[in-house]
Amino acid sequence: MELLRYIYRRLIQIVIIFFVILTILFFLFHLAPGDPVSRMVDPNLTPEDAQLIIKELGLDQPLWMQYLYYLKNFLTGHFGSSFHYGQPVIDIIGNRLPNTILLFTTSIILSAIVGIYLGKIASWHKGKKTDTLMTLGALITHTVFLPWMALIMIWIFAYRLGWFPITGMISEEVWLNPNAGVWWKMIDVLHHMALPLVTLFLIHFGSYLLIMRSSMLNTLKEDYILTGRAKGLSEKVIRDHHAAPNAALPVVTSVGLSLAFSINGGALTETVFTWPGIGRELVFAVSHNDYPLAMASFLLIAIVVLLSNLVVDILYAYLDPRIRY
Amino acid sequence: MKNLIKNALFIISAISILTFAGNSCSKNEEFRMLKIGLPEEPKTLNIWLASDANSHKVLSQMYQPLFVRDPDSLKLIPWLAEGEPAFDEKSLSYTVRIKEAKWSDGSELTSEDVAFTGNLIKDFRIPRHISRWDFIKKIDTPDKRTVRFYLNEPKAIFLTRTLVTSIVPKSEWAKVAKAAKESEKPLITLLNHKIESPLSSGPFIFKEWKQGAYIFLRKNNFFFGNGKNIGGRLIGPNIDGIIFKIFGTSDTAILSLKKGSIDMFWWNVQPGYLDDLKEHNDIKIFSNEKNGLYYMGFNVRKQPFDDVNLRRAIATLIDKDFIISRILQGHGVKMNSVVPPGNQYWCCSDVPKYADGADRKKRIKKAYEILSAAGYTWEIPPVDKDGNIVSGKGICLPNGQPMKKFTILTPPADYDPLRALSGTIIQEWLRSAGIPATAKPMAFGSLIQQVKGRRQFDTFILGYGNLDLDPDWIRNFFHSNNDRTMGWNMSGYRNPEFDSIARKSSGTMDKEKRRKLIWKMQKIISRDVPYIPLYNPKLNEAVRTDKFEGWVETLGGIGNIWSLCTVRPK
Repeated sequence: MELLRYIYRRLIQIVIIFFVILTILFFLFHLAPGDPVSRMVDPNLTPEDAQLIIKELGLDQPLWMQYLYYLKNFLTGHFGSSFHYGQPVIDIIGNRLPNTILLFTTSIILSAIVGIYLGKIASWHKGKKTDTLMTLGALITHTVFLPWMALIMIWIFAYRLGWFPITGMISEEVWLNPNAGVWWKMIDVLHHMALPLVTLFLIHFGSYLLIMRSSMLNTLKEDYILTGRAKGLSEKVIRDHHAAPNAALPVVTSVGLSLAFSINGGALTETVFTWPGIGRELVFAVSHNDYPLAMASFLLIAIVVLLSNLVVDILYAYLDPRIRY
Repeated sequence: MKNLIKNALFIISAISILTFAGNSCSKNEEFRMLKIGLPEEPKTLNIWLASDANSHKVLSQMYQPLFVRDPDSLKLIPWLAEGEPAFDEKSLSYTVRIKEAKWSDGSELTSEDVAFTGNLIKDFRIPRHISRWDFIKKIDTPDKRTVRFYLNEPKAIFLTRTLVTSIVPKSEWAKVAKAAKESEKPLITLLNHKIESPLSSGPFIFKEWKQGAYIFLRKNNFFFGNGKNIGGRLIGPNIDGIIFKIFGTSDTAILSLKKGSIDMFWWNVQPGYLDDLKEHNDIKIFSNEKNGLYYMGFNVRKQPFDDVNLRRAIATLIDKDFIISRILQGHGVKMNSVVPPGNQYWCCSDVPKYADGADRKKRIKKAYEILSAAGYTWEIPPVDKDGNIVSGKGICLPNGQPMKKFTILTPPADYDPLRALSGTIIQEWLRSAGIPATAKPMAFGSLIQQVKGRRQFDTFILGYGNLDLDPDWIRNFFHSNNDRTMGWNMSGYRNPEFDSIARKSSGTMDKEKRRKLIWKMQKIISRDVPYIPLYNPKLNEAVRTDKFEGWVETLGGIGNIWSLCTVRPK
């Protein structure tokens, strides 16, 4: 009952915070220098043409009126059309978002699983070679500049060795081949996904490893670990059943938030690997003053992050019975 | 440890299977298609919304104009049209006869389609197109293959720009136009209309667009030019189709070209890649001039830039040869007039060239002479009493007021490193003569709004990569009518003599007479220097030579309709 009351309270907070974010975003984008027409450096575009476009896009209205229109449209489920593509932003996001989720969510889950596992091992062997190697490896891969790493991966595994495609998400040879079935197409996507996935994995697993290692080292000092040893439990049982579940709590927060932010994609990764995700579109929309597309993308991120915070909090109570709301 | 080894082996086997399966399935069937890399995804297949270069690259294979430029002479030659337009002075009309041509659905391309295209542009006042149709009074279609354009007044751009408009099918657009007209926002409704599969009158037809991956065009068997000789060239297409592949960065596109995943990268290859590419026997670099203009502009509405002597002195201090050799690494052409030299017919070479070829010392001395003669003074002049060059300081205007610090606005280096670097080097050259300039990179959208919208600036460096071959844009850029918010006369240049010649040039239909007027306009601009033309970068395009041949070079590179109609498998 208390938990339900807590969720109810948090949901009200989320709605309020969401509308604050919406308002800030709206004014931030509209007050930024430039407009969708200012980038059209075509001498054939007369001032009258530019004015006509501005008028038809409703950008000649006072800002507060534009804001009210936006609110009204938003509450009725209309997110508008992209100024750049001329298509409903929902369609554009709907087209790109699954690709981002496929790559980034998979990479975060994979990184978290491996990071937590290796973090557990490293902390158990604290001060030994295994620990040093794992910690050093995690630090190196985690701090490498992502585009550089991506290009090196492409150069070695795609260009030199030819194991993977250089960029993209699909091959035209497969997708234009009428004989290629669903399985071939799925393998083709996985084949294209391998390099960006490994790159993202290498960049991300280190952070989970380090968080888990640090958390485990703290947990191993707890009294109940000593009690476990006194009871004669095996080292494996103490590590896997007593220390690791308790140490994993901070990692859960980190993974939860990373999963939420994964829908934002990564403009750099998506650009280098030409992965048709939402990250590149987001950067493009902001730099080209494509307000509807930029607003909708950011609002989507905001809502997912807000909700995932709530989910992480609830999950906390589930994972740690000591926590009650 | 055992588990770790087991897991590692499992991962390695999975990767091997994936690699083998992926590579084998992608080689299942080899298509004989020309694969072209694009640097960005085209934004739309709606020709009226398509203001980006990449959409144009795809759409230009489908929608065709009545006339096109010959790649060698750059003269307009009939394409969809059967012959030259017939002029009737009395009715101020042009009659054009159309070739027998079909749309990709097998229906006939008629004069109705041409008239419909013109009327659609006029009815909706479609941005970027209306300026070349606004002066058309009426379009008649005496028969299926004859179209007659009645003009309100003589307009030179009718021949060079109106007649090169891409023709759209009435059957496809009439319903769209009707629905748009009835909507609350007709223009936006028209621009936002999604074209799923456009009809084509060109060499290729649209087949499929996989967002973020590729666009596939197949050979159009109904193409009017198939197997014909046009402009002395045997027209194909000689390939089964084109696959436009999208790349996020030039790095990966170049790697794909080297690897053979694409046959051409339709974008300027930066000089840094050229040496590496030249080492590959199967790759050829085509280097051609663009019809571009990169320049420094002044805000002549305000002090001190309203003084032509200061503008000339700045022009004298700028060493264009240095910019081309050091910043462009030799991949550019020096510009003295606003019309690029590659546009041979219209470019006037007889214009003032400020200290052309002079070294730094001579430039500073010459600039010092110009400014001193105009009444400028210095705390420390850049040339001492013995004629030695020293670091100038404290320049004062002829009215005795110290010259205020001013900015040279440039796009940021991540947008265009050449313009950003040019701004920095010009800043140093001006400072050496005691002129207090500071280069300031600014986000492109903000820069345009500052210069074109707010008109609050001192000087700027901007450029156009692909201007129209008909230099009517000079009128746009410098006519006093366009000195207004969002107008193209960004410098605020006002000269009644120029205005009068510009007006006359736009209504002169005789090409030779018009050329003389255009030359006069260039001379006036070079004399008054509201803009200092700097350079026109060369376009380096890379293709593989092992599978295809027959690329056609012209001003603006090999990416043109001629190339794609003549390129053939080896």
